[in-house]
Amino acid sequence: MNRSFSWKKALFIVLLLLFALWFPRLVDAYFLHLAVTFFLAMILASSWDILARTGQVSVGQAALFGIGAYTAALLFKWVHLSPVLGMLAGGVVSVVVAALLGYLTLRLRGIYFSITTIAFAEALSVIWLMTPAVTGGAMGLSTPPLFGGDRQQAYYLILGILIFCIGVVWMIEASRLNFAFTAVRENEEVANVMGINPTRYKVLAFMISAFFTGFAGGFYSHYNTYIIPYEVFGLGISIACLVMPIFGGLYTIAGPLIGTMIVKVIEEYLRVTVSYGHQIAYGLILILVVLFMPDGVMGIWRNKVLPLFRTVSR
Amino acid sequence: MSLLEINGLTKHFGGLAAVQKVSLAIDLGEIVSLIGPNGAGKTTIFNLLSGVYLPDEGEIRLDGEDLVGHRPFEICRKGVGRTFQIMQPFPHMTVLENVVTSGLFGQVPRVPMRMAEGEARELCRWVGLGEKTGVYPRNLPVADQKRIEIARALAVKPKLLLLDEVMSGLTPTETSEAIKLVRQLRERGITIFLIEHVMKVVMDISDRVVVLHHGEKISEGPPGQVAHDRRVIEAYLGEQIENSGE
Repeated sequence: MNRSFSWKKALFIVLLLLFALWFPRLVDAYFLHLAVTFFLAMILASSWDILARTGQVSVGQAALFGIGAYTAALLFKWVHLSPVLGMLAGGVVSVVVAALLGYLTLRLRGIYFSITTIAFAEALSVIWLMTPAVTGGAMGLSTPPLFGGDRQQAYYLILGILIFCIGVVWMIEASRLNFAFTAVRENEEVANVMGINPTRYKVLAFMISAFFTGFAGGFYSHYNTYIIPYEVFGLGISIACLVMPIFGGLYTIAGPLIGTMIVKVIEEYLRVTVSYGHQIAYGLILILVVLFMPDGVMGIWRNKVLPLFRTVSR
Repeated sequence: MSLLEINGLTKHFGGLAAVQKVSLAIDLGEIVSLIGPNGAGKTTIFNLLSGVYLPDEGEIRLDGEDLVGHRPFEICRKGVGRTFQIMQPFPHMTVLENVVTSGLFGQVPRVPMRMAEGEARELCRWVGLGEKTGVYPRNLPVADQKRIEIARALAVKPKLLLLDEVMSGLTPTETSEAIKLVRQLRERGITIFLIEHVMKVVMDISDRVVVLHHGEKISEGPPGQVAHDRRVIEAYLGEQIENSGE
């Protein structure tokens, strides 16, 4: 939980930021699109990790993602709401749903909450299929291309949201919330006796997580121009949300981001070479992490790589 | 006036009566020990007091205010701090962070982070962990882990402190240090209710002793008097005979 500030770190972040801002001028449309999908996934990974900090494993982030996606798409269809406002609305509606679902289910512990989230996402998918008059049903919904198809603008929008998301995580780490989240994760009963209302902080974490996941869903629907319930409420998204941060390293700022980078590169490579290959990748990565690297990439970096440099510098 | 008043407190687990119609009162500034053979219901009473369990019957009043039905975090903020029999520090927090956490959330009104940290440092120094604030609990001996428990319970600025076997497993030197600590706590105006197995400690520091057996209160009074109570001796010796028969 220690926060160390160093000029080296600050310089690195500034350089990274400048590179991210300059990036669209350096690459072609394919890589720009890839960067957008990476950033989108990073937001999902980071926001899943926010909830994980309270010890809750959501296996139904797709519910929030799908709600965000459909909120944005439906608002466009009904009232031609501008896409960015639609995404914002997607985030807000997701927060409301998370608050309601959270208050009902986050009194449950561990596995029970996880199962409820899976069921909730699946239930939403079924509800969407059964009400085609309102939701478009299995045919899905389509929207015109975001920013008239200008990928650069889409890139900067999602980059902005990602930076906002990282900023929020950073603020959580620096605040008293960090103590509450960690205490609830490590021992809920003791935290309770020490004056922490566990349900309150779990719901709060779920709501913060829901905002970014919902916003990402809204962005996806406009960026992709087409959504179907099977996909946006699908287990695939829920699994992706948790594999990336677990692989990268939980409860850190960099972990989910690095995990996403690596998983997405593997996924993209397999997508091109093997059909459905990316789904195999998720399964394999999860097994490897659980067996061999419980603290993810960040754990290996901290425990194996950094000590090497220390001995060298002596 | 009594700080804590318990009336007819009863708790069943299935068919087992863990606590039966227990009544007692603790005055402001008192040190009261709760003793009894294993399984007498001592920790259950602490769990009822701190809101971990809901009593089947009876009332618990702190400063006249009913605590029954309030959740643990609410009771904590009303001024009840407690330690756990099995030490449960947060493993991925340093000693200081452990203490800061309860200081941040257990106090009313809430204090800013910097103040909570200052208070936690002071408490760590006071319980004898001043040099070890940056250490993780798993790297500390039992006595120090108990100190964390005490510092954490104190960080909520309790009126009433519940100490669940903080002396067990300590060496004689550590025990006498701990006794000194408890006495100092009383001088700070904290009322103390403790569960204890170490009889030397009980006789040394208690103003009064409450004896529990099979969930019922069988005796109460000054330590010297309780030690000679026929029912108390029977409860303990009876247990010993049963044990030796195993």
